[in-house]
Amino acid sequence: MTREALLARTFVQLSDTLVDEFDVVELLTLLADRCVEVLDVATAGIMLAGPGGELRVMTSSSDAMRVLELFEVQAQEGPCLDCYRTGRPVLNHVLAADGGRWPRFTAEALEAGFQSVQALPLRLRGNIIGALNMFHTDQEALAEGEAEIAQAFADVATIAILQHRAGLEGQVMNEQLQQALNSRVLIEQAKGVTAERAGLSIDEAFRALRSHARNHNLGLVSVAQGVIDGTLHAAELGAAARADDA
Amino acid sequence: MSSGSERRFRILDQLNNSETGGFDAMRLCQVSAEVTAMSGAGIMLMSNDVSRGAVCTTDEVSALIEDLQFALGEGPCVDAFHLDAPVLEPDLAAPVTPRWPAFTGPALDAGARAVFGFPLQLGAVRLGALNLYRTESGPLTDAQHADSLVMADIAAQALLVLQADAPPGQLAASLEEGSDFQHVVHQASGVVSVQLEVSVGQALIRLRAYAFGNDRRLVEVAQNVVAGRLRFDAQSGQSDPGP
Repeated sequence: MTREALLARTFVQLSDTLVDEFDVVELLTLLADRCVEVLDVATAGIMLAGPGGELRVMTSSSDAMRVLELFEVQAQEGPCLDCYRTGRPVLNHVLAADGGRWPRFTAEALEAGFQSVQALPLRLRGNIIGALNMFHTDQEALAEGEAEIAQAFADVATIAILQHRAGLEGQVMNEQLQQALNSRVLIEQAKGVTAERAGLSIDEAFRALRSHARNHNLGLVSVAQGVIDGTLHAAELGAAARADDA
Repeated sequence: MSSGSERRFRILDQLNNSETGGFDAMRLCQVSAEVTAMSGAGIMLMSNDVSRGAVCTTDEVSALIEDLQFALGEGPCVDAFHLDAPVLEPDLAAPVTPRWPAFTGPALDAGARAVFGFPLQLGAVRLGALNLYRTESGPLTDAQHADSLVMADIAAQALLVLQADAPPGQLAASLEEGSDFQHVVHQASGVVSVQLEVSVGQALIRLRAYAFGNDRRLVEVAQNVVAGRLRFDAQSGQSDPGP
């Protein structure tokens, strides 16, 4: 199969996977395997940032790479970490000639038989969520256009991860969205009630609600709820705000 | 490549191709109208089963379509949300089955001839609906219908991704920008609830009834109430000062 055909088939396979329910690790593994085939690298792997920003090895196309990537995370140095931290790709980096950029990682990598490395960022709206890494057993650089292909793989991985996260977190995020919408309605209604009861403009009413929340160490939403329920007296709230201003 | 995947990638690609980098709610609306070759698009968010207003609209007609549905509680988005299915009205001026008696007249006056609503959902999660309109009547082609379904799916996911950046209890800034959540109507509900000594929910119903009965837009009535130009407790009945 030509490389173009392989590439096309890969994207078809990936995009079909994305539409249905999918296992994200399985998909990333497929992606790493295809990087190896299409770009003729020795091995490829993907790291993702966890909630605290720490990188985790998600998949590696070989055990040797898995060990090396785990070492990288432990040692806190190496191409994937640099790529993740800076958001910039590390391209055609020859390890023997790197002048001690990653002393511990380089020693381990050379010992494992790898001569050069590539690392590409997984980007989302300016945030970096991980990195796609490729190791070579020789010092040959990527051919023209191959860096773009690799970045396309990284972009597909990013979409896959996002879709996965959206599915997982959809319920929780929707609850937050609904709550934010409902809270906002409550606050606007409370502004109206306070304005009418205390003879204030809407803006003055909002300031009165806010200063009551601040002075009593309450959330704005619970103050608004109190005003709507009638457990908080809007007229007094307005009077207190006027006293504050005086 | 299967056509579903191809659609998805084409739309995602278009979303990412904004000149400004990143995407926001407005970009979702623009791309919705572009990929489906419609005159305009709007995205309505719902909570507690009622419309909370539009998170984005591409033009004045779309804004009015969202506004009417918020005020009247009827229209293609409202139905799409409640039915969990696309709602298609290819000929608003001469529908096969007349529906939306209050919505249809003003929407036609504004220039809409065909309106379509697609629910925004992710599995069991229901967020609202995507509205598409065209100034010419006629059904959606199969391709437009398929694009709309994929677009609604992507929009639902994108809205949640955008909201994920927000502090707890607040809407994400990227969702507030360009949105119309009808704040003045809720403020007016608060004012009227005091004037009539009713709940805010009942006050909103009174505001809606007044707007409909006097052939005024709900938002204008609300603005008059908030500005003190219109009171609901006046002995002499409710005189309308006009917009």
